[in-house]
Amino acid sequence: MAGNALLECVGLVRRFGERAAVSDVSFSIAPGEVYGLLGPNGAGKTTTIKMVCGLIDADGGEVRVDGRAVGSDLAVKELIGYVPQDIALYPDLTAEENLRFIGRLYRLSGAELSARVAEVLAVCDLVERARDRVDSFSGGMKRRLNIGAGLLHHPRLLVLDEPTVGVDPQSRHAILEHVAAMGETGMAVLYTTHYMDEAERVCDRVGIIDHGRLIAEGSRRELVERLGERDRIDISATGDLVGFAARCRALPGVDSVATTKESLQIIAGAGREMLPRLLEAGAGVDVSINAIDVTEPDLEAVFLHLTGTALRD
Amino acid sequence: MRAALVIARKDLRQRLRDRSAIVIGVVAPLLIAGVMSAAFRGTASFHFTLGVVDADHGSVAAGLIRALDEPDLRTIITLKRLPSDSAARTDVRTGSVAAALVIPSGFSTSVAGAAPKALAVVTSVNNSAAGGVARAVVESFTAQINADRLSVMTAVQSASPLDLGELSRLAQGLAIPLRTLQRPVGARELTAISYYSPAMAIFFLLFTIGFTSRSFFVDRAQGMVERMRAAPIRPFEILVGKALSVLVYGVASLATVGVITSAAFGARWGDPLAASVLGLAMVLAVVCLTALVISAARTQRQAEGVAAILTFGLALLGGNFVSLSSSPPLMRTLSLFTPNGWALRGYTDLATVGGGLSSVAGPILAILAFAAVTGTVAASLARRAVS
Repeated sequence: MAGNALLECVGLVRRFGERAAVSDVSFSIAPGEVYGLLGPNGAGKTTTIKMVCGLIDADGGEVRVDGRAVGSDLAVKELIGYVPQDIALYPDLTAEENLRFIGRLYRLSGAELSARVAEVLAVCDLVERARDRVDSFSGGMKRRLNIGAGLLHHPRLLVLDEPTVGVDPQSRHAILEHVAAMGETGMAVLYTTHYMDEAERVCDRVGIIDHGRLIAEGSRRELVERLGERDRIDISATGDLVGFAARCRALPGVDSVATTKESLQIIAGAGREMLPRLLEAGAGVDVSINAIDVTEPDLEAVFLHLTGTALRD
Repeated sequence: MRAALVIARKDLRQRLRDRSAIVIGVVAPLLIAGVMSAAFRGTASFHFTLGVVDADHGSVAAGLIRALDEPDLRTIITLKRLPSDSAARTDVRTGSVAAALVIPSGFSTSVAGAAPKALAVVTSVNNSAAGGVARAVVESFTAQINADRLSVMTAVQSASPLDLGELSRLAQGLAIPLRTLQRPVGARELTAISYYSPAMAIFFLLFTIGFTSRSFFVDRAQGMVERMRAAPIRPFEILVGKALSVLVYGVASLATVGVITSAAFGARWGDPLAASVLGLAMVLAVVCLTALVISAARTQRQAEGVAAILTFGLALLGGNFVSLSSSPPLMRTLSLFTPNGWALRGYTDLATVGGGLSSVAGPILAILAFAAVTGTVAASLARRAVS
């Protein structure tokens, strides 16, 4: 991958005091590839992309975009489009004024700037609202404009930091469609999320990050294949889930067990054959089982298998 | 620097769209300068009615009343004859006269004797200024009489060869040689509007520190500083952009207030070039103070608190509310540590003494020195603010 990679991150390290937020993270993204950084909140995703965008300095390692180091060379930033997690727009300016301001920061001017602004407004489906103040927009419209602002200067690498957080299902669907389409245009996309389904839907490759370390990387298929013939078993239950989980872990064939508030997530070989023994384990503790679901492994199961915790913990 | 101009342009657009900026930058200074000018105009044309009770009807009493009715005093005092001591007290109490002078019966005769009778000045606590002026005029007259008495007594004691009639004639021609005359230092007197126009313009200019630092922290909270830093610009350009918007806004505000107060209220700002350079130096000082607040504060609340303290602290110490000439010596000394104090000295000199740029070189250099110190400290802290 590194041979034709547009983005190369090599051994990235970032500490905040004694705490290492990112430790030895390396990955690369080729042009036209959508790469997902998947991990729970606080895993180091945002810190990693801030180093990629030159917003914070790395304590170790290097970020290169198109072969040029991010840092002192300001021109490299013209290759990167950054879409922050929170809406970063001026509410008292119109959509067009916001885009013009951001475009000028990227050295666009005159007819070129006007054309790009018109293009982005069209992509965001905001042509009719171009001259309305942003504070009059719905949440979804703001989200679309927030992403559009990152596309204005035609970056070769687009970095999106959890762009669907707090977004309604309809807008979320539109955003994911849009991200997938960007990859098809040849743009390299770095997409962070803690939603497994988003990563599965739009990303060509996924890096799983936890506690600041990249613990696995590959396409969805490659990652799922790591689980072999294992299944994911979701048990919805109430009562002594901790005791139930301990009994499940002791069963032969069970790889990992994670508990959430009202469920257990289990990775085990031959899941269907395991069910009687799991029910038997439940009978020995004060727990009431409401439902059991055996599914094919997915990225969440991979994460559970690798870390022993559920992705949304 | 292109990015700084882009940021400044955007900030100005937002500021002008926010009508409060126009109110603070132009309307409020004009309004307050006008009100303070009207309030203090009364002190420049001080006048009151003095009641006079002449129970003596002698020659000395007549001389005293003539002295009070001299053309020099008519611009200050209008005399009103009153029939009695009790009438004087009533009129002072009701306010129909501001103060009253009571010349007792036998006063003229007693002046030549060993125990002259005392004059009484009836005053009101509600008009102490008029009472003070009346007392001063009367004391001036009695000082003249006492000087004459002393001269005659000295001549008599030293066995002068002149007879008493000759001495009396000479004594009447005597006048107290030393008098205090008030003359302004400059070619013109400083009018209230000429002082309060720049004072209020500068006071409201100081509000820009709070506006701009709040705008920076709002930008940061909204993620706009981060978005700007993701663009191909250097971090310090963000602060320079903010500073440039302050500069343009400050210069526009000062210039507008200057032109309107000159044309509409007759305020004297002095030589246009000198006044402009002085104003520009003051705006630069505000720019550097703003950068310092943004660089030093960690939160919006901190920035707003520091900006408020700076605005009112500087205005109090620098003489924006009360003329420095009326302030105690300590305040006048402290004002030397404020850029607005120096600016007001400069504008006062331009309005009274006149002169050009060289006449305000001292204040301009002092303000620029202040700007250099605060600007240097701000620059040293700037990286933390935008990171």
